[in-house]
Amino acid sequence: MELVFDASTLILLARTTLLRDVTEFTQVQIPTVVEQECLAKNSFDAALIKQLIQERRVAVQAEIGESGVKKLIEDFRIGNGEASAIWLARTKELPLALDDGQAIKVCKALGLQFVTAIHILLVLVSHGRLSKEIAAEKLKALSHIGRYTKKIIEDAEQRLRE
Amino acid sequence: MSVISLRLKDKETKRIDELSKTENRDRSSVARELLDYGWTFLMISRYREGKISLEILSKKLDLSMSEAIDLLAEYGVESTVTYEDYLNGFEFTLG
Repeated sequence: MELVFDASTLILLARTTLLRDVTEFTQVQIPTVVEQECLAKNSFDAALIKQLIQERRVAVQAEIGESGVKKLIEDFRIGNGEASAIWLARTKELPLALDDGQAIKVCKALGLQFVTAIHILLVLVSHGRLSKEIAAEKLKALSHIGRYTKKIIEDAEQRLRE
Repeated sequence: MSVISLRLKDKETKRIDELSKTENRDRSSVARELLDYGWTFLMISRYREGKISLEILSKKLDLSMSEAIDLLAEYGVESTVTYEDYLNGFEFTLG
């Protein structure tokens, strides 16, 4: 499976120490600008993402159509990293992992498939790469830093119990 | 630093004076801090209302994305990912 990530989901999965597991079954692609956003300051998530880039588990795509990215920024008022990730996903016809409502609206407008960190957590469980008990703990952590609504968390908890 | 003149309402001046007195700081530094808090509050409100994205928020507040996520968690600001967005996400993961 191949997925393009924007910084929000990459950081959430790094914070919950799920990112390495994700890279074991998913080919993670990010544009250069997302790499720069994630590594902007020293932090645990930055160190982990840097390590995974060095191990080539996270592929950094340097060549992104500048004019397309610029148009997305102008049309939808999103950031350079978000627009670059969306453009990369659109160009490569890949789904996108992102945790921002505004950027998700753009995905919907462009007809792009998308997932959030919670979907990826549930996929890790369904693929047998994470036990339900550990996943429940990771979901608690995601609920705090990902700040998902109560309804989303309750639904995800229910899916974990099934 | 630049100098600007502002017309303030009486209650605004009183607030600056009150803070200046209780924190034993000059009025300029107190006013700057209030402006900074106001800017942060305004940007978080715009994010919460779905007017700006997380990346734009982080840039407006001179924070890294990671720091912006921490700030939102600290203030208890819910994600702008809606339940409908969440359900839409399963179209890929289940498909």
